Amino acid sequence: MQVEKFYYDNRVVKNFAYATILWGAVGMLAGLYIALQLVFPALNITQYGSFGRLRPLHTNAVIFAFVGNGIFMGVYYSLQRLCKARMFSDKLSTIHFWGWQLIIVAAAITLPLGLTQGAEYAELIWPIDVAITIIWVVFGWNMFGTIIKRREKHLYVAIWFYIATFVTVAVLHIVRSGQLPYSFLHSYSWYSGVQDALVQWWYGHNAVAFFLTTPYLGLMYYFMPKAANRPVYSYRLSIIHFWSLIFLYIWAGPHHLLYTSLPNWAQSLGVVFSVMLIFPSWGGMINGLLTLRGAWDRVRDDVILKFMVVAVTAYGMATFEGPMLSLKSVSAISHYTDWIVAHVHVGALGWNGMLTFGVLYWLIPRIFKTNLYSKKLAANHFWLATLGILFYAIPMYWAGIQQSLMWKQFTEAGQLKYTFLETVTYMKPFYAMRSLGGVLYLTGVFIMFYNIYKTVKSGKLVANEEAEAAPLVKEYVKHTGEHWHRVIERKPIQFMILSLVVILIGGAIELIPTFMIKSNVPTISSVKPYTPLELQGRDIYVREGCYVCHSQMIRPFRSETERYGEYSKAGEFVYDKPFQWGSKRTGPDLAREGTGNLKKSDGWHFRHFREPSSMSEGSIMPSYPFLIDQSIDTSLTAAKINAMRSLGVPYEKGYEKFANQELMTQANSIRINLKMEGIEVPANREVIALIAYMQRLGKDISNNKTATFNK
Amino acid sequence: MFKFIKQYAENISGVDIYPLISLLIFFTFFIVLLVLVKKMKKERIEILSNLPLENEELPNSTL
Repeated sequence: MQVEKFYYDNRVVKNFAYATILWGAVGMLAGLYIALQLVFPALNITQYGSFGRLRPLHTNAVIFAFVGNGIFMGVYYSLQRLCKARMFSDKLSTIHFWGWQLIIVAAAITLPLGLTQGAEYAELIWPIDVAITIIWVVFGWNMFGTIIKRREKHLYVAIWFYIATFVTVAVLHIVRSGQLPYSFLHSYSWYSGVQDALVQWWYGHNAVAFFLTTPYLGLMYYFMPKAANRPVYSYRLSIIHFWSLIFLYIWAGPHHLLYTSLPNWAQSLGVVFSVMLIFPSWGGMINGLLTLRGAWDRVRDDVILKFMVVAVTAYGMATFEGPMLSLKSVSAISHYTDWIVAHVHVGALGWNGMLTFGVLYWLIPRIFKTNLYSKKLAANHFWLATLGILFYAIPMYWAGIQQSLMWKQFTEAGQLKYTFLETVTYMKPFYAMRSLGGVLYLTGVFIMFYNIYKTVKSGKLVANEEAEAAPLVKEYVKHTGEHWHRVIERKPIQFMILSLVVILIGGAIELIPTFMIKSNVPTISSVKPYTPLELQGRDIYVREGCYVCHSQMIRPFRSETERYGEYSKAGEFVYDKPFQWGSKRTGPDLAREGTGNLKKSDGWHFRHFREPSSMSEGSIMPSYPFLIDQSIDTSLTAAKINAMRSLGVPYEKGYEKFANQELMTQANSIRINLKMEGIEVPANREVIALIAYMQRLGKDISNNKTATFNK
Repeated sequence: MFKFIKQYAENISGVDIYPLISLLIFFTFFIVLLVLVKKMKKERIEILSNLPLENEELPNSTL
């Protein structure tokens, strides 16, 4: 048969590789900065640089910019070679590359400006969500185009992982982005309270699964055999790994909501599937590590293999820890603490980071037809990164467990032993040590930056790499009794549909009943929609990213009800769009901040926002003096009320017309309260709205005890 | 809390069957997968797992 000559596109691979390095450095730098903010609160400079706004910047940069570009780099390199074809369209490749970078830049601008949806890892505002959808379709189009015009009959296991990634991320993104815009930059979530929480963690957990894991497993299955120069340990295992992993992962989300107001059956479902996940995950890890069978001696002096071995080991540790953390009794201790922060960083720094570095060191010299500038520097990078992970994770594990024990410690007289603030100040040395881990890891990245810069200088990009292969002839003869997987391996579209069905089963069984519940949630009669001022205050709470450090979900433990009051009920959140349960308690829970023994005066809140440490000595919360200078944007009040009403919040018709009037009345009463405490401030300031929201928290239930507890 | 949750869980007809159904679906899925994979031919597996290593131009740089 006549062989065809064609060219691999290395330019797009190079672009994505550069973007990976650049955004990796930016995202990690942001991480280091916010880590230092927890030790030195004075580093919260201006509103644009406060922790609550920068933390989403860090997470989004690392996930979608660093790992995102890493995925595309690896996919564009391996897909072309596995398909023996150039990418389907150079134009689509270019649009994909620049589109993705523009999205990242847009995120980097909007997040510090406080433009956010207030849902973790889905913070980006709706116009950016639309752009992500378009660019994701471009990526899929380009990928499927390439697969369809390929010269290799079979789809290697890595490609399945890419296909599953594409289709699942699309589903997740669309469902999570369900929102009603009320201005060009703002929107409210379609879902509220419990439903919003379930959608969020179904999304959030699967962002980990299908953005940080499956595409990287694809990269592992391609680049590890390449680097080791031997085939994967067991191809059979890889098939089982793939199908059971994507089947199970989609169910696991509710383990983020154990002991919350989420229905119990959904929690149990999440636990069962999370525990089962250990099997495919470890199957994959073992498959990766055993690929090096008989080549372990090479790991000693091949730095690329070193990176990959640590990556796969970190994957194994994180996927062992994940199911353990999903057990209700472990979650009771670990949830809301720094333990979770340690867990995700073993995944991000270990699995994603180390694999990315390994691939970069392997790939850059190849597309530049040269040798790596310095193996020694690469080895230094390896050791710094490995030590960095340890210096990061160990203090955080320690801190997390310590934190939990302190929260739960009672005196012999039966009272809580520690105030929340005492537990915070105790954490400071651990936060400092963790920053040191970050410095080590980041230093390694800068060394890599230099090493790769020198490597690139010494070579020349082979923008179009020549290759030869015979074209694929259409087989008209249908082999009867052909193996099913052999058939499916040749048909990318059917393959995609099958993956889609597999992931939809879990999503549907979990989400649909929870949405059916909507009509069955016993609406607590005393739970009323927010007043216009409180609504404005809540939006400021979301804008400042308060949910990053404060939960609003009291679990039914004595240690929590003693500290924060009555445990949270599903019916309390029906008007919360987005829900703000949070996932971490760097600061105390706020669900009942306006009631009981937690209630503080308006003046206390004012002084606390202006300078937290003036009211709570040793507090690491940023100060918010700008809330005192900035006025509430009342021009949007009517639009907000209308949007909320469309989403089912029972504001009376026409209420939007005098909403601002009511807002000012309430604001004035707070102004007067403040005046009596010796504070002069105009009524139209943002701090007033935020105080109104603080004072509202938990009040609905305390207003009407009988209505709530006669169930 | 459980009283509270039970109340609306009860209102969805037969919610307790959900976890059972899902477990059963996965179990069947997994067993079928296992059998099918077991039946794959060795030569095929050989070809498939060597896909990434095919046509490898010898790299001029190995670390």
